[in-house]
Amino acid sequence: MTLRLRLPLAASAVFGLIAVLLAVGALFPAVGHSIGKLSIPKGVAQLLGGADYGTITGWYRSEMGSVYGPLLIAAVAIIGASASTAGEEEDRILGLVLAHPVERSRLIVAKAAAIAAVVMMVAVACWVGLIAGVALAGGGISVGHLAAYCLQLAFFGFATGAVALALGAGTGRRSLANGAAAGIAIIGWLINGFAPLVNAISWLKYLSLFYYYEGNDPLTHGADIADIIVLGAVALLLTAGAALSIEHRDLRA
Amino acid sequence: MSAPPVIATSGLSKDYGSGRGLFGLDLEVWPGEVFGFLGPNGAGKSTTMRLLLDLIKPTSGSACLLGLDVATESLAIRRRVGFLPGDFALYPKLTGRAILDYLAELRGGVDRRVRDSLVERFDADLDRPVRDLSTGNRQKLGLVQAFMHEPELLILDEPIAGLDPLVQQSFHTLLGEVSAQGRTVFLSSHTLSEVERVTHRLAILRQGRLVVVDSFENLREVAVQRLAIEFSAPVDASEFLALPGVTEAKAEGSTVIVGFEGSADAVVKAAAAHEVRAIRPQAVDLEDIFLRYYRTDDPA
Repeated sequence: MTLRLRLPLAASAVFGLIAVLLAVGALFPAVGHSIGKLSIPKGVAQLLGGADYGTITGWYRSEMGSVYGPLLIAAVAIIGASASTAGEEEDRILGLVLAHPVERSRLIVAKAAAIAAVVMMVAVACWVGLIAGVALAGGGISVGHLAAYCLQLAFFGFATGAVALALGAGTGRRSLANGAAAGIAIIGWLINGFAPLVNAISWLKYLSLFYYYEGNDPLTHGADIADIIVLGAVALLLTAGAALSIEHRDLRA
Repeated sequence: MSAPPVIATSGLSKDYGSGRGLFGLDLEVWPGEVFGFLGPNGAGKSTTMRLLLDLIKPTSGSACLLGLDVATESLAIRRRVGFLPGDFALYPKLTGRAILDYLAELRGGVDRRVRDSLVERFDADLDRPVRDLSTGNRQKLGLVQAFMHEPELLILDEPIAGLDPLVQQSFHTLLGEVSAQGRTVFLSSHTLSEVERVTHRLAILRQGRLVVVDSFENLREVAVQRLAIEFSAPVDASEFLALPGVTEAKAEGSTVIVGFEGSADAVVKAAAAHEVRAIRPQAVDLEDIFLRYYRTDDPA
């Protein structure tokens, strides 16, 4: 049911994403080389994925990888996770569902699996869109590296969605789950961009999900298994926390 | 009654603070009963139902449904119970059919013929999205999903809310059939005439505490009675207010309507001081019973 309810949003995200990736690819031959590498402060450049618009890898890393990709997948995951837990509870639907012979923890795990499937759909669409976009741009990134990027994007989506799932299942408050999960993602983005510039706090980057999503630059170097394992572990632990927390609390009226 | 109770609570409490919640509920409901649960908003009716279904956890006390402990065997209980929440809500974009399919799949073992007969009986609309349905039509879906697996116990919170009189009648007929099959219904309602018509026994809750459990007939015997006394000339109603047991007295022309508890002796003797043309007893209804238990702030 969760998957069915989330499909319209996922479909919008998929079509929008593919359109953007094709447009970005088509623009590169015309403007990429003329922009080149921007001369901007290192921190800002870091936030923009290096701000190197002169190469196809840098172009997609900046246009897609640093902001648009994670923003879209986080939005799909966070909105889906909070709506299917706290949203259904606030809408008084969860009380009816849990009056049926269904274990709360199993229901949460099923909802997590549905959100993961939606995230995976967006990630696969991203891969298809990137392949087509890079082809329009004249090539330059291997299909394998594009797949690696999309895999890390998917795991980033799983982890950010799991944050919202844990908050939604633990509190039953949709706005809290949405707001806190989005806030954690934004703070993580800023930390990942700025913390490495100051030696004393550079270790903070390890607390950011963005570090594990793009730290090894998958478009250039391929997938980093350790990063994927960290993101996957975060997603699994938070999902387990969500299942446990809803098991023993009162459902909101 | 020899069979064990279908619902048995012992000191069941849920304290929300500030005097809100449910406190020390001791209740037994027997197989085949249609049991009414009365009380104004905030009295603890829905809280009781949510506790029975393990949707919320008690602060203290315990409850057993169908011989099973709510705290430890809730899953087994929920297989055998049908529930209609008072604030019944559904996925707004889905049709009634999709929702019933989903809930039947969650529950398992739903006989399609039973479901279809309920849909036909209530004339439920399965083809339009729920957001396009009226409150009454949504409530019909709620009734279908609560009854479609033929549960041994039905817990229904305000079941006739929004239903038109014909569907109400159909629902009341269904309650009679369910009761005749030995199944049990535990329902709350604000519609006193409904409770009066369909329940075997009823309980009244006030501020989270049970104030009385009995049959309507027994409660009627101790309820406020009213006499309409027609005099040959207008009489001051305040004459009656000072009499023992009199709760109300009002004059309407030359007729005085006197409400009282217990014996009518003092009222009749006071009336006899004037020229009486007629004395007509007025029917006692559930509203009189209900109001009796709510007249003062102190528990009755």
